[in-house]
Amino acid sequence: MQHGSREVRGGMAASASAQMALHDDHGSQQIQNPGLHDDFFDQMLSGLPSAWPDLGNPKSPWDASAAQKLFRIDLAGKQPDESQPEAAAEGLRYASYEEATMLASRLSQSQGSGGSSPTGEAMMLQLNNHHILPAVGRSQTAVGGSVGESGLLPLPLTLGSGGAADPRIIVETPRDEMDRPYKSPDHNGGEELYNGLGGSIRAAQAATGQHFHHPQGASMSSQSYGGAAAPAGVGQGPAASASSGGGTPPQKQKVRARRGQATDPHSIAERLRRERIAERMKALQELVPNANKTDKASMLDEIIDYVKFLQLQVKVLSMSRLGGAAAVAPLVADISTEGPGGRAGANGAAAGNNDSLTVTEHRVAKMMEEDMGSAMQYLQGKGLCLMPISLASAISSAACRPSAGGLVPAPPPATTSAAAAAESPSSPSASALTVQSAAADTTAPKR
Amino acid sequence: MESKSSTTGNRDNPNRNLHGSKTMMASHFLRALFRIQQTSTSSSSAGRSRRIRRAAYASMAYSAGTRRAWSRALLRKLRSRARLRFPRRLSRAATPQRRDMDQAQVLRKLVPGGPSMDDCKLLEETADYIRFLTTQVRLMQTVMDSISS
Repeated sequence: MQHGSREVRGGMAASASAQMALHDDHGSQQIQNPGLHDDFFDQMLSGLPSAWPDLGNPKSPWDASAAQKLFRIDLAGKQPDESQPEAAAEGLRYASYEEATMLASRLSQSQGSGGSSPTGEAMMLQLNNHHILPAVGRSQTAVGGSVGESGLLPLPLTLGSGGAADPRIIVETPRDEMDRPYKSPDHNGGEELYNGLGGSIRAAQAATGQHFHHPQGASMSSQSYGGAAAPAGVGQGPAASASSGGGTPPQKQKVRARRGQATDPHSIAERLRRERIAERMKALQELVPNANKTDKASMLDEIIDYVKFLQLQVKVLSMSRLGGAAAVAPLVADISTEGPGGRAGANGAAAGNNDSLTVTEHRVAKMMEEDMGSAMQYLQGKGLCLMPISLASAISSAACRPSAGGLVPAPPPATTSAAAAAESPSSPSASALTVQSAAADTTAPKR
Repeated sequence: MESKSSTTGNRDNPNRNLHGSKTMMASHFLRALFRIQQTSTSSSSAGRSRRIRRAAYASMAYSAGTRRAWSRALLRKLRSRARLRFPRRLSRAATPQRRDMDQAQVLRKLVPGGPSMDDCKLLEETADYIRFLTTQVRLMQTVMDSISS
C-alpha cells in the first residue's frame, strides 16, 4: 500500500503529504495488502468524480478527488460531495484511502456476512481508541474483519443500514466525526496499537474514518460504535487525521435516518456487546488504581500492568516469607481443624506461646475493621467466637476451675467451646482468651 | 488483611463475592503454610517459595470456587501438578510496542483460563481475578506482618 500512497502523494497538498509522512511512519506496519490497494488506486485514478465539494478542508484538493474515487468505487451511489471535503482534510487520507478502499471493498464483499461478535469485540477492544471516531465503530469491526478474520463483519453490522446501504453508511459518518479522530494527539499511541494489529487495520480505520465523513453523517454506524469507541477514537485519530480538524462536533453522530435502522439485529447485538464491555471496563476501573484513563487502550494497559504487578507481589511475598516459616506453626496451631492433634497442639501453643494468639487476634482485628461478618466467620472457622469480656472472663475462670461453680455454671470445656462454634477448640481458656483479646481489640480498631 | 474499601464497598455487587471468601482464603492459606513449613523444613528456599506461591494461588482458587472460569482453570492447573508458571515480563526489550498489538491477548495470558474466553468474559474474569489477587496479597502481607511483629 505504500506504493499506493506514494502515487497519491504526488497529487497531494503539502499538508496531506506531511500527514502522509506521519502515516507512513507507521505505514511499514500498515496495510498488508499492497495488491489490494493498487487495485483501488487504479480505480481511483481511473476517474474521479468531482462531486465531493463537501469534503471539508480544502487543503488538499487531491484529497477530495481521491476520496471521491474511493467513495465512488467502494460505495455505490454514495454522495461523493460530502466526503470530499473531509477526505481532503485528512492528510493521511490518501494513505488511508487505500486501506479504506480495501476496507470498503471487503465490506461490500462481506456485507452479508453478519457480525462475528467476538471478532468485532476483539477489534473493539484493540481498536477502540483508535483514531477514527466514526470509523472506530466501523473500522473496528471492519478492521477486525480484515485483520483477524477475513470478513469485515462488524462493519456492515454497525452500519446498520443493512444490505447495500452499508457502504453508504460508512460514508455517512458525519464529517465531524471523521475529523475528530484525526485530531487526537494520541494518534501515536493509537498507531502503536495499530502496529500490532497490522498497518492495515490502522489504515483501514483511517480510511474508513475518512469515508465516514460523508455528509450524511452516518450516525447509524457511528452510533452503534459511537459510544465508547467514538470518544476513544477521537482522541486517537491518526496523525493524518489531525488535519481534518473538523472541530469537535459532538461525537453523537447526528442522528440520521439510518439511526432508525438500529433495529438491525446485527447492530443491536453489537451495541449490546459494546455496552457490556463498557460495563466491565467500568468495573475494572474501580479495581485498578490509576484508572482515570479515558481511552480503552491505556485502560487495558493499566489493567495488564496491574495484574502483572499483583502476580509479582505474590511471588515476592512468597519468597520473603521463608524466614518467618518457623513462626507459622504457632499461628496455625490455633486452627482447630487439625482435630485432636490440633487440640493438643493448640493447647501447647496456647499455653506456650501467646504469640499465636496475638497474631490471630491481630488478624481478626484487622478483619473486623473492614468486615465484621467475615471476621466472625473466620473466628468460627477456628472454633472461636466473640463474646463480651465479662462473659469471657467468667467462662475462663469457670474453665480454669472446673470444679468451681463460678458465676457461670461451669460447663465442660466442650460447652465453653460451644460458644465458639464447631469442633473442639484446643482449650477453653485458650479460646476464651483469644476471644477476649479479640473482643478487646474490637473496640480499639474501630474506625 | 488491611482494611480495604469501606464496608459499603463490600456490599457492592462486585465485592460481594469476597465477603465470605476472605476467611476461607485465610484459613486455607494458613493451613497450607503450616503444611509447607512442616514438610519442607530442610528443602531449598526456592522450592519453598514456589510452594508458598502455589499455596497462595490454591487458596485463591479454592475460595473462589468453581463459579469462575479463572478459578476453574487455576484449579485444573494446580491439580495437574504442573509447575505454576505465570507470564513474566521476560525481557524489557521485548516490549517495544507498549500498546500491544493485542492487549486482549496479553490479558488472556495473564488471567488463568484466558485463552478460551471472549473479550467480554475476559474483562469480567479479569475483574474478579484482580479482586481475589488483591485479597490474597493483602492476606499474605498481613500474615507476614503478624509473623514478623
